[in-house]
Amino acid sequence: MPKKYDAIVIGGGHNGLVTASYLARAGKRVLVLEKRDRVGGATVTEEVYPGFKFSVFSYVTSLLRPEILEELELAKHGLHLLPLDGTFTPLPDGNSLARWHDSGKTQQELSRFSPRDASRYEAFGLHMHHMGRTVRDLMMMRPPEPASFKPADIAGMVCLGRHFRALGSERISDLYRLMTASSADYLDRWFESDPLKATMSASGIIGTMLSPRSPGSAYVLLHHYMGEIDGVSRSWGFARGGMGAVSGALASAARSLGAEIRTGAGIASILHRKGRATGVALDSGEELGASYVASSLDPRQTFLNLLDPRALPGPFVAGVRKYRFRGSSGKVNLALSELPDFTCRPGDGPHLRGSISISPGMDYLERAYDDAKYGRFSRRPYMDILIPSTIDPTMAPPGKHVLSIFVQYAPYHLRESSWEKQRDAFGDAVIDTLSEYAPNLKSAILHRQVLSPWDMEQMIGLTEGNIFHGELSLDQLFFLRPVAGWAQYRTPLKRLYLCGSGAHPGGGVMGAPGKLAATEMLKDWSG
Amino acid sequence: MASSCDALVIGAGPNGLVTAALLAKGGMDVVVVERRPEPGGVASTIELGEGFHASVGSDLCLLPQLIVDGLSLEAHGLKLHAPDPIVFAPTRDGDAFTLWRDPVKTQEEIRRFSARDAEAWPRFSQHVRDLSAFLRPLALRPPPAPDVDGVGDLLALLKLGWDFRRLGAESMHEVLRTLPLSIADFLNEWFESEPLKACLAGPGLRGVSFGTRAAGTTAHFLFHQLGADGRPWLSERLPVGGGRALVAALVASAQAHGARLRTGAAVCRIDISEGRAAGVRLEDGEVLTAAVVVSSVSPRTTFQELVDPDWLEPRFVSEIRAIRYRGVQAKLLLALSELPDFRARPGVEPAPHHGAVIHIGDSLDEMEQASDSAKYGEASSRPFLLATIPSVLDPGLAPRGRHVMSVTMQYAPYRLREGTWDERRDALADTIVARLAEVAPNVPGAVLALRVITPLDYETEYGLPEGSLLHGEVALDQMLFMRPVPGWSRYRTPVEGLYLCGSGCHPGGDVTGAAGHNASRVILDDR
Repeated sequence: MPKKYDAIVIGGGHNGLVTASYLARAGKRVLVLEKRDRVGGATVTEEVYPGFKFSVFSYVTSLLRPEILEELELAKHGLHLLPLDGTFTPLPDGNSLARWHDSGKTQQELSRFSPRDASRYEAFGLHMHHMGRTVRDLMMMRPPEPASFKPADIAGMVCLGRHFRALGSERISDLYRLMTASSADYLDRWFESDPLKATMSASGIIGTMLSPRSPGSAYVLLHHYMGEIDGVSRSWGFARGGMGAVSGALASAARSLGAEIRTGAGIASILHRKGRATGVALDSGEELGASYVASSLDPRQTFLNLLDPRALPGPFVAGVRKYRFRGSSGKVNLALSELPDFTCRPGDGPHLRGSISISPGMDYLERAYDDAKYGRFSRRPYMDILIPSTIDPTMAPPGKHVLSIFVQYAPYHLRESSWEKQRDAFGDAVIDTLSEYAPNLKSAILHRQVLSPWDMEQMIGLTEGNIFHGELSLDQLFFLRPVAGWAQYRTPLKRLYLCGSGAHPGGGVMGAPGKLAATEMLKDWSG
Repeated sequence: MASSCDALVIGAGPNGLVTAALLAKGGMDVVVVERRPEPGGVASTIELGEGFHASVGSDLCLLPQLIVDGLSLEAHGLKLHAPDPIVFAPTRDGDAFTLWRDPVKTQEEIRRFSARDAEAWPRFSQHVRDLSAFLRPLALRPPPAPDVDGVGDLLALLKLGWDFRRLGAESMHEVLRTLPLSIADFLNEWFESEPLKACLAGPGLRGVSFGTRAAGTTAHFLFHQLGADGRPWLSERLPVGGGRALVAALVASAQAHGARLRTGAAVCRIDISEGRAAGVRLEDGEVLTAAVVVSSVSPRTTFQELVDPDWLEPRFVSEIRAIRYRGVQAKLLLALSELPDFRARPGVEPAPHHGAVIHIGDSLDEMEQASDSAKYGEASSRPFLLATIPSVLDPGLAPRGRHVMSVTMQYAPYRLREGTWDERRDALADTIVARLAEVAPNVPGAVLALRVITPLDYETEYGLPEGSLLHGEVALDQMLFMRPVPGWSRYRTPVEGLYLCGSGCHPGGDVTGAAGHNASRVILDDR
């Protein structure tokens, strides 16, 4: 008879660990099953090259919910977030733009491009902060179900309605605009300088198959403004020791609360009987029983791979099949013998201690997107670059550095050829482009790791390499995520829950879906 | 000398005429003032060569039957022809896709391209019909606004909610999920055949600067399906006799109800006294007084040219200024010595396909690529075209044995990066003729005369800001309660007694006359 747990959590990524921690905290006997030899999923640090620690996949955090940090005492378990200050945009003409937390410093930088933009910058930040606060409540809310007549759901809709009415019509229209406009059009209302708009709108395309001119990209812009560190809104942070420190702290917290974590334990299927989940079967054949099962894997993996779709209602399966992934990003991690030397701002400096954005103009980003639309990686891609070793010396040997490059676009579906064949050419395109700004780069490379969306799918189970477990598009958000009618973490199989980024509020290293799912599970338990 | 009436309507385009007719029918003494020597705006017809007549703007008519009946337009001479086949879409390879009124015939036609698509066609048609059934009432009433003022508004909102819920959970979800989709994503869920998808996608792109992958294009597509039979393309009709026949019927109806039309009367100012509309002043100095002034011209013209800004709040003015127009349509009118000899249906004798709407755009990607150029301020080198040959339906539009062809082209962005539209006129004509020649090689040799209408022409001659035939882009953030600006989507304006009734209001340009109809209801209710 298989050993019975209160709950089994499939997948030891950050959301799975969050769910496990909250369940354990409530006294449940929890087992986390992770296929790889380490937990973390996309939140890992690996010594890919001796002496050099790479945050292989995700590379910054800010969206990690403060209440999760507090409630799980993650600092005690080794998580220390170091705020990143600054976004540096080198430009091809030798100029450059930098934005800092210090609004005075930023205004000085911006006034070289546009005095008008400089004067509006702070107001914009404040505006987005307010919008972020407005939406944040929605983030941590279980989505209501508009089609349901159940009292709890009607109450949920009324509550939502009241929440909106309280905002007032001006805020409602602002919010609606943020949800539906393109980041380019949204920013055009505030700013005129091309490199500024491009850099700001670039955060609207992260993890999407959208360009700054795509309607709906303004929403993703907001998604990235909702983070905070130490109460400082919109700060992006770096975890000391790399992103692995996030999952490491979560795993430590989970264990200290009594959860069991097994690695090297891949799941073959979710077991069920008479419409109810009863446990899991491992790749090894071993079967484990549980009263409740939570999957932190994405919806396609969960419902089409770990289950026989015929066991699920037809419309639900149709909805899962329509749910779009379309990974669009790649990663290039470098071990360097020296810092990159940017022609437009030579030498070391604060500009290397924040994020470096290759986004010189809107057209540049659009052309990168055009490549991707037709099934090619961007010849001259957008990049979001970090040099963690400048803030955390433990990431590399003294005097040497690690460079983390998040790249768009790298479409999962290539028209011609395959990612196995194209990976190196992609890596070359990235390095060549960056070298235009920092000519010493190539000679400084000691090791390079190039990850395509296909690699991400192979290595950490991200379907089509989509970092958010599914596009964050309007038709896949809130009560429509992952499938309309199933947005409250429950699934058509009783006692099976979805607790990863494929559930509201979606992706990014937030932990929100993990916690919300645990909350729903605990409700059902006591109910 | 001042003359007085109950209501002054500025502009005798279709919306202005519909408003005037309905207000007159409602008992008001109405005067319509039109700047140009003849009424109709872009629905009017111009002559090219000798005896060839074609519409300046759209050749298609989406006038809701409710308005046709309400104004007895058929009794006043309007004949709306439902073409069969509806769409003829010749492709570069010498084949063509044809959409018929008979669903069985269409299904057999689709089967030539894809058996799978043929099987899906009836369900898709029904699905579009269901979606448009929900949207139809939305088009013919003021949009629901989040800031609900009166009991009437609240009831309207509740009724909408109730209608919505009566759809049943599955349909409700489908509406919510589908509305934000891009037309490409929507169609790709159903079909694989590119010519079929391209032909269906056309209405979703009409008059907007976006391509097939833009969120909101499905909503735009659905707003073209609001006729009695909501299946794809069935709502589009052709006025026999072209635009001038439509205009003539509207004028006759308005006059039959007692409205007076003055042409060659350009308004230079809307008079306001103590915050209330008082009338208009014409360019020749004449003053006309009325307590109700209804502007059918664009929000930009109305508030940035005709109204003294001292009467308007700064926030309102900045919202008005921020409305995106971004015209992308150009027209080519061709006087032809013979009918186009399509490679897919050889012959220059009039045949059913000559009377259809001719769609030229082979695939979703091709249409997407056409939209890419607009992003960079260039006219598409491989544009997608929508054409009709109105002389097939009404031989009076061309000399005996000859024909006139009316072609709308996308994308011709108003703002060019290089050069001006006047300089580019000839090149544009060449591009369009070359594109036509790919599918009908006799066209270049058959051209007797041609006339190009560029976005700049639309602006300077017809008062359409940036050449936008829709009086403002129809995009998700410029629709419904956001159109023309948030807080003022119900045809009233901050100036009491001043109303808007043109395409710049809900539901936007293509649903002919709907804005005028909705505005007239509000005006009559306010009395």
